[in-house]
Amino acid sequence: MNLSRISSSTIVLSALLTLGACGGGSSGGSGTGFDSLLVFANTFASQYTGGLSSLNTSTGLNSKVVPDLFDARYLDGGFSKADLSAALASNAQALGASPELSLFPVAGITNVTLSGCDSNGICTLNATLTNSDVDTTTVNFSTKVAIVNGQVYLYGDQSSTTSI
Amino acid sequence: MIKKFPLRHTAVAVASLAGLISVVAIQPAAAADKANTKAAGNYVSGDFHNHTTCSDGSLSMKKLIDKSVKTFGLDWFVQADHGGSSARNCTLSEDPFEPVPSALGLTNSTTGPFPPNTYPTTGQPASTGKGPNQTWEATLPGGRTAIKGDGTAVPKAMWRWQEIKEFQYKVTEDESRARQKPIWIGVEQNTPGHEHVSTTVLQGQLPWPQAGVMGNATLQAQYEYCFDRSDTDTSRGAENQWDCSVTGTTSTDALNATSRKISGTNTAATPDLGHRKTLEGIKWMNEKAPTTSYFIPAHLERAGFYNPIGNNGFNIEHLRNFNNTAPNVAFGFESMPGHQASEQRGEYAPNRGASLANPTAGVDSVGLGTYGGTGIYAAKIGGVWDALLGEGRNWWFFASSDYHNRGAFGPDQRESNQDFQPGEYQKDYVMVRKGTNNLSAEGIINGLRSGNSFAASGDLIDRLAFVACAANPALPRAAFKTLVEKAASNAVAQNAEVRINGCATMGEKLVVAPGADVVVAIAVRDPQGTNNSPYSFPNPSLKQINITQPLNAPVLDHLDVIGGNVTGYVSPADTAKYAGREGSAAASNPSAGIKKVFNSTNWTATADGVRVMSYRIPAVKVSQYFRLRGTNLPPATPFETDASGNPLNDYDLLPFFDASKTDAVQPGKVVCAEAACPAHLRTVNGVKYSSFDVAAWADLWFYSNPIYVEVSNSVKVAGTK
Repeated sequence: MNLSRISSSTIVLSALLTLGACGGGSSGGSGTGFDSLLVFANTFASQYTGGLSSLNTSTGLNSKVVPDLFDARYLDGGFSKADLSAALASNAQALGASPELSLFPVAGITNVTLSGCDSNGICTLNATLTNSDVDTTTVNFSTKVAIVNGQVYLYGDQSSTTSI
Repeated sequence: MIKKFPLRHTAVAVASLAGLISVVAIQPAAAADKANTKAAGNYVSGDFHNHTTCSDGSLSMKKLIDKSVKTFGLDWFVQADHGGSSARNCTLSEDPFEPVPSALGLTNSTTGPFPPNTYPTTGQPASTGKGPNQTWEATLPGGRTAIKGDGTAVPKAMWRWQEIKEFQYKVTEDESRARQKPIWIGVEQNTPGHEHVSTTVLQGQLPWPQAGVMGNATLQAQYEYCFDRSDTDTSRGAENQWDCSVTGTTSTDALNATSRKISGTNTAATPDLGHRKTLEGIKWMNEKAPTTSYFIPAHLERAGFYNPIGNNGFNIEHLRNFNNTAPNVAFGFESMPGHQASEQRGEYAPNRGASLANPTAGVDSVGLGTYGGTGIYAAKIGGVWDALLGEGRNWWFFASSDYHNRGAFGPDQRESNQDFQPGEYQKDYVMVRKGTNNLSAEGIINGLRSGNSFAASGDLIDRLAFVACAANPALPRAAFKTLVEKAASNAVAQNAEVRINGCATMGEKLVVAPGADVVVAIAVRDPQGTNNSPYSFPNPSLKQINITQPLNAPVLDHLDVIGGNVTGYVSPADTAKYAGREGSAAASNPSAGIKKVFNSTNWTATADGVRVMSYRIPAVKVSQYFRLRGTNLPPATPFETDASGNPLNDYDLLPFFDASKTDAVQPGKVVCAEAACPAHLRTVNGVKYSSFDVAAWADLWFYSNPIYVEVSNSVKVAGTK
């Protein structure tokens, strides 16, 4: 976690909004501002990176770990959580049938920050994405996430179409 | 790569043949190698088809090599003269050579610039009867008696096998070591039953960086003796006593008892004999040097369709036969020919070879011309190349200079109305996985075979990273796009490829689950500065559409992603689908088309000329391939491109008054109106028309080799990994 990447205004705003967003949660552990966001971000980074790294095996593809990190409302360029589950299942099936399957690039995230949360607990996640190959590539990206009961879920851009 | 010139940044009855083709078992190949198993590599530029005075070229070995690897900075070079025989001694240096006489006003700098900015109009011609134009008979210590094999001509011609084995090879290896670049000997085979094929049998040759004692080109020489149509020597290579038999051959054609090779070629009395002999040659290569040989048909549209009783061109069934016979040896074609500055670009034309005296003696080149400098087999979307790729074959695209001479100009002049020198206009860029080792000839041949290569004219681009990745469904789309675009950008910065598991590059296949999304990412470098063109006046083709762009500073206008479906190998027994002329069902892939166009509106440009772009192909359900082409000319450039951006027939562009065929004078299409338009351009009624080298510099293209995407429950892409 790169603390320096969280601005003071982000801290204040995020702390407030996170409280509102998480207030009705059942975790009993609603965030209390910056510290909570930091915890949420770190926890999510660990969960997501771990889940992503497991997707090069049949076990990982069949696991719920990654889908469980996606909000039920996830929509990203027309791609939904149901599509994600179907894609993982399709890859798992194909991997079983074809050892030649190329699968897909695997990457992990670091330097996660959460900011710009609204009253519905929808925040902006900024992170660094790095693939785990002999040639590594590092890029920064941002996406929307939902924070529910202290857990970060990928939320997507909520667009049903994409030009990407 | 060090650039020494300131670039801009610098019918056969196939059914009857099918039984004779010994098809090498085609094993479904592995998916794209995992990234961590690939050695690091770089794209390196070279040329493998060109000529010296040891056949019908105009330069000595030394001077041609100097032009190629020094003046034009190629990283590797294969000197490949025609087979047959030659009276001239190409191992003699030019007269004059270096240091060049100051009276000619030429630079003799060892550090450049190369070439000098100006040359005297008289240039530096190779003089008749001097230097490499002297005969073997006049220059060998033993004179005529030192020339081996059959022959009664005066002066006696030397068979190419002797030239290669006893004379050219030593020059080649010496030059390779002195210049510390891989340089070796190949042969442009006068191919039985066809026109020409670029070949190499590297086994035995020891170009730099190989250490040790002098190697030899004995196997290359033997191949020439055994399988070149013009080598009618019967001596068995004199003391070599070669035998041209192939172990385990299925050929029913007997070897001649004296020459110990199959005699003859396609004739009315022996239809298809030449083609069968050529297949025997491929088997021979596969037996003698399976990993260090190649067989790449050259300018294969030029001599027209295949003729079972002549030695003309190639139909698709012949390319399939070659590839079936030895896919590791016959893996591509030179559909972007040399001779790009000639009156008829690439020397492709209708009624080629006709004359006023014999107006019907000519043969139509297939396609009746080149298209943006490329033959119709590769230039036509959905044509021959796409048909081969649609089978999932490993069949790759190459370009060559085919340098012989500069027409009316001397070898050191920069104008040309015939050929460009190796590296001057066209380059093949080949991935060589050398790791931390030196570049090697074996690595280059492996690179050629791999399909991880691209070709460009006029330095339109000099770097390319082209990759297809299975989209990671668990990553947001924007994040994944950014990642693969950055990976491609990084690769171009390093003149390398993308090495990421789950991605495939040119010559490889990506195996994906049904319904997977695939992201194609491309980074390309349009080199800054000027190319090797001596002309800085505005490109006359672009002037037609009010674009003013110096002819020596081209800009990549757009890039097309071309794709088509893979439906599997066609059986030789399925004659209707296997054999046919260009335009037939057998030579077509109707699924091929332009899938995406990138230009300044949808790519990201950086100041160093790099253009980065990507797009997502959703829910892939059938096996398919993607390849790239790009050009400096926008779609609908009159007489150059159609509304879809496809290149138009170059022959139709040209003014025409070839006195050997017609006395009619026809104006050209594109006027060259600038005061600086050179005097040698075709001029009709006082109007200069874009032609010769100007027409070539005006119309630049690049082609990539394909990336295959195999859907796991769909058709196997059998020809590649």
